[in-house]
Amino acid sequence: MSGGVLSAVALLAVLALAGGVFAQRALLLVRLVRMGKPSGIDRSDAVPERLRQEATVVLGQRKLFQRLVPGLMHAFIFWGFLALFPTIVIAMIGIVDRDSTLPWLGEQGWFALLVDVFAVLVLVGVGIALWIRKVVRPRRFEGSHLGEADLILAWITGIVVTLLLWHAARIALGLNEYGAGWSPVANVLSGMFGDGEATEALERVLVWAHVLLILGFLAYLPRSKHLHIFTAAINVYFGRTRARGRLEPLRFDEDLPEEEMRFGIGTVEDLTWKQMVDSMSCTECGRCQEVCPAWATGKTLSPKLLIMGVRDHLFTQGPLALAARASGETYDGPLVAASDDLEEMAWDCVTCGACVRECPVNIEHVDHILDLRRHLVMVESRFPSEAEPMLRDVERQSNPWGKPQAERAAWSDGLGVRVLQPGDPVPEVLYWVGCAASFDERARTSAQSTAKLLQAAGVDFAILGPREACNGDPARRMGNEYVFQAYAEQNVETLNEAGVRKIVASCPHCFNTLANEYPDFGGRYEVVHHTELLAELVREGRLTPTATEQTITYHDSCYLARHNDVLAQPRELAAAVGKPIEMERSGKRTFCCGAGGAHMWMEENARPINEERVREATATGAETLAVACPFCTVMLDDGVQSTGSEMRVADVATLLAEAVETGAPAHEREAG
Amino acid sequence: MVLTFVEHADGAPDALSLQALTLARGFADGEPVQAVMAGPGAAEAAPALGEYGVATVHVAELDGGYAPQAWARAVAELAGRIGPAAVVAAGSDRGNEILAHAAVMTGAALAANCVAATPGDPAGVTRVRWGGSLLEEARLHGALKLLTVAPHALAMEPAPAGETAIETFGPELRPEDLVVQVSERVDTSTGGLSLAEAPIVVSGGRGVGSAEGFGMLEELAGLLGGVVGCSRAVTSAGWRPHTDQVGQTGTKISPDLYIPCGISGATQHMAGCKGAKRILAINADPDAPILANADYAVVGDVGEIVPAITAELRRVREAS
Amino acid sequence: MNVLVCVKRVPITGGKIVLTPDERAIETRHLGFTISPHEECGVEEAVRIAERHGGSTTVLTLGPAEAEEQLRDTLAIGIDRAVHLVTDGSDWDPESTAAALVAAIEAERAAGHDPDLIMFGNESADNGNYQVGIRVAHALGRPCVTGVKGITMHDGRVRCEQELGGGRDVYDVPLPAVVTVLEGLNLPRYPSVPAKLRARRKPVESSEPARSEPRLELVRLTVPPGRGRQAEVLGEGAGAAPAVVELFKKLGVA
Repeated sequence: MSGGVLSAVALLAVLALAGGVFAQRALLLVRLVRMGKPSGIDRSDAVPERLRQEATVVLGQRKLFQRLVPGLMHAFIFWGFLALFPTIVIAMIGIVDRDSTLPWLGEQGWFALLVDVFAVLVLVGVGIALWIRKVVRPRRFEGSHLGEADLILAWITGIVVTLLLWHAARIALGLNEYGAGWSPVANVLSGMFGDGEATEALERVLVWAHVLLILGFLAYLPRSKHLHIFTAAINVYFGRTRARGRLEPLRFDEDLPEEEMRFGIGTVEDLTWKQMVDSMSCTECGRCQEVCPAWATGKTLSPKLLIMGVRDHLFTQGPLALAARASGETYDGPLVAASDDLEEMAWDCVTCGACVRECPVNIEHVDHILDLRRHLVMVESRFPSEAEPMLRDVERQSNPWGKPQAERAAWSDGLGVRVLQPGDPVPEVLYWVGCAASFDERARTSAQSTAKLLQAAGVDFAILGPREACNGDPARRMGNEYVFQAYAEQNVETLNEAGVRKIVASCPHCFNTLANEYPDFGGRYEVVHHTELLAELVREGRLTPTATEQTITYHDSCYLARHNDVLAQPRELAAAVGKPIEMERSGKRTFCCGAGGAHMWMEENARPINEERVREATATGAETLAVACPFCTVMLDDGVQSTGSEMRVADVATLLAEAVETGAPAHEREAG
Repeated sequence: MVLTFVEHADGAPDALSLQALTLARGFADGEPVQAVMAGPGAAEAAPALGEYGVATVHVAELDGGYAPQAWARAVAELAGRIGPAAVVAAGSDRGNEILAHAAVMTGAALAANCVAATPGDPAGVTRVRWGGSLLEEARLHGALKLLTVAPHALAMEPAPAGETAIETFGPELRPEDLVVQVSERVDTSTGGLSLAEAPIVVSGGRGVGSAEGFGMLEELAGLLGGVVGCSRAVTSAGWRPHTDQVGQTGTKISPDLYIPCGISGATQHMAGCKGAKRILAINADPDAPILANADYAVVGDVGEIVPAITAELRRVREAS
Repeated sequence: MNVLVCVKRVPITGGKIVLTPDERAIETRHLGFTISPHEECGVEEAVRIAERHGGSTTVLTLGPAEAEEQLRDTLAIGIDRAVHLVTDGSDWDPESTAAALVAAIEAERAAGHDPDLIMFGNESADNGNYQVGIRVAHALGRPCVTGVKGITMHDGRVRCEQELGGGRDVYDVPLPAVVTVLEGLNLPRYPSVPAKLRARRKPVESSEPARSEPRLELVRLTVPPGRGRQAEVLGEGAGAAPAVVELFKKLGVA
């Protein structure tokens, strides 16, 4: 038997071994994902958009480049491996016959150059990664598998170094078709080798080492966090394409058979396939952890640790569930929430969506959290006790404060706002006030200001008064989908009966629900936030504010900016009434006030988020902290008081109303 | 003639029963008022009723612990014997319980928690509903009328009646009358003031914000020699135990000064603090219903105001 | 151990009660409805007793057709079946109410659902007549303990604890018995959604009760004046502290 045949047999054996080890694991992963429940959201539509995501997020590394240096690090390695991919085949051919290569491509000098350049870039990437991990040591890696990451970096280095050295040995032996000048780096390295038998043997060793490292990597990958090499592209493709603030409705039906009365994530069997792929796509980079307001204020929740917890649970319980199914038994495993700190983590979340926005592989952390909550609330009746009055008040009194519904329009007393009665002519715009602005004494001002501005601009509008009920968001974000749907149906019925077409909402949470979630219940309206409508009125000259010298920093509401892309209009208004200063975390990278995800009614187990945000706002030196959300108003006003800040917290609408009236803010007028 | 069931403790008639006597005398409209008492110590407390217009006190001789049906039997039997136009009692736990049993035994109708009553057939009564948030004007039919009197609705008005006759009687009980009887007494007192009896109560509502927020209320209450209460929302949230709850379904309090902090003043809560002599409300909402029911108010954030009051109180005390 | 709980649908009143034009009822157009907290505890206790000792639980109400909503709520807590005495929603006096309930309970007994324990709230949230439970107990010839905040079943008896002063009075009575309970007896559970869905399938038997002439006859309702005036505002925010301490001095509590 010739050496070539022997090598081929050996290679095939190693390939079969590595492939087998890989396939065994891959098959398990596929079986797990196939066990996953349908995700609810249609993830097969919008193919062009999905391809665009693939091109920008995967190939273009768009989300990684949100941070330049780590972005370069990853892009070098990622693009490097794309470019180097053919060299795997070239090396395998080289093992069988060192004088053969991949037809055409293996003979191209430019490709040799490309390989050299990218091999070096990969090494630079590894260098940056080591520098970040060993020198900078950002907190985002807390809780990640650091040893595993080091191993993978070493492995990558090994693959690339053996590749370069193998090329160097080939140059020394004069084996290449193209000139050595095409491989400047390998050429320099070739100086280390002679052209004798030692080099000939070394060339064999290097090519085998290179291929063995690659095949070993292949076998190891699906068992490591580096699995994302295979899953990330899939995860990005099937990610949400629109309405990031929307939650998927569940189905409630009294005829539901007992075994289908499962809501949210109970056991591993309740995970959707997308949630499974999410957990398999996490590389523990911790970008989500770094932007998470709960983590930033010392709570248990880290979106990264949550996803890792789901993954660990999936990998320990998933095979048991598969085995039970295979033998026709009922799987009766532990709750996903029961593993690690997942239950506590689920309650720490403010659903601000910063993690989802930041994640380079489009993991949808908030969906996991909401589904964990859904099971805990709706099936186990287990949730922070302080939120129970809120849930009961929403259920029985149509608002989370338990205030009498009959007094819903009391904020408008004396303003002459039309309360739409059944059968009345439909107004041009329906003003959806929301519970907070209706009942909370601090938030009321913004409703009063908005109403006055709409009147001043001559907008034909009306409110529903006592017929407006809670939109259901607090219950839904708590996990009580059942209560939410009852209100969604009731409100849609009221709005449809009244013939409403256009709605202006004061509260970003109402706005998000009405715009993105009510269509699921037959409510399709043009929904705008009050800042959008007011900015339009200013642009059209129907409102003419006089700007003052006051410095204003605008705090973006998560449900307005991050979930619904409303960034420009509130800023236009701030600029129209004063001198805007931006906070460091603004726009779509805003930092939550602490009230989202029903946290308005829950306690915080560590440092308050609102204080963290107020300190950031205070640092701008601005006199006024402008907001566009009644929850933000209350939270940040509390934060201003508890941190001893001198800032005034006011809704943009209130500032605009003052600027339209006299051009001077009320507090200055009083002082003068 | 009107018969009044009078409760007593420590050798003295109970204040709520004396308030009931005020209504009884009005209802008697010049006719004599008699009283019926039971339980250990009744004879010692009986003479004091002379000050409140009672000419005759009937003391029922009953052995053993409190047995509502047996006590009611005494009242019913006496009423059958002396034929009053009405039987009146305080709208206390026992007053209501005994008169309800007596109503069945005498075949009469009972109007509970009245604040006013005029004799006649039918009699006119005004009684409280919704724990006092509503008044009901009603007609009470029947030859014998049974009424209980809402606590703290009327004053205890002295009306000396001269000589008070005390007559004892032994009611004829049926076996079923003693089936329900206090068989045991468990002492659960912690030695401190009870919410129901404290002269000052500092209460917190949802506006306090968290379980920890009650620390500042404890501090102020401690300085004032009072105790801490709370609203129903707070109990539901698990911040405080139900025993701290002031309200229609919690403890009904009658302190000299009541300081509700961050409590909006829903009817369920107001029903529990109607007996308070003065109310100082601390609330962020100047339109909160509590302000319409309070004597004094401070508007603003509870978390800011309460510590400021505590600090000021300390400062003033140290200065003096 | 069969337990029957009587409940009553009542509106959730806020800070201000508004009456209907005929002054015979509360204007409930924009109000939510519930059962009283006492009754919620009674329902919870009934379910716990059945969970612990076996047997079935029944909820009984006298009220308008809409009261089915409250019956379903109690079925979601875990009550097995409901009996609804449907009225036109007008005010019932305590004697008629008790008579209708007694008739319904007798019918239950005839149908083989004899309750060992009948529970009421200590008083209804709205009318507060403090007597329906006692009247029902007499009519059925059963002992009645009121104001109960602790229930233990043992050897065919029920041990009831009543809070009084700084202690608890204990009554130990044989079954069958009637008990009226107070809030604080337990912490009612928050019903799960599967339980709510199951509740929709549970049986609700309805019938029309007979009503006699009331001897406590409602004439009209009135809203009592508050303390007669709005509170005197001592100040706003922390700056009001000196004024408050002045008030303490005036009242002699500083």
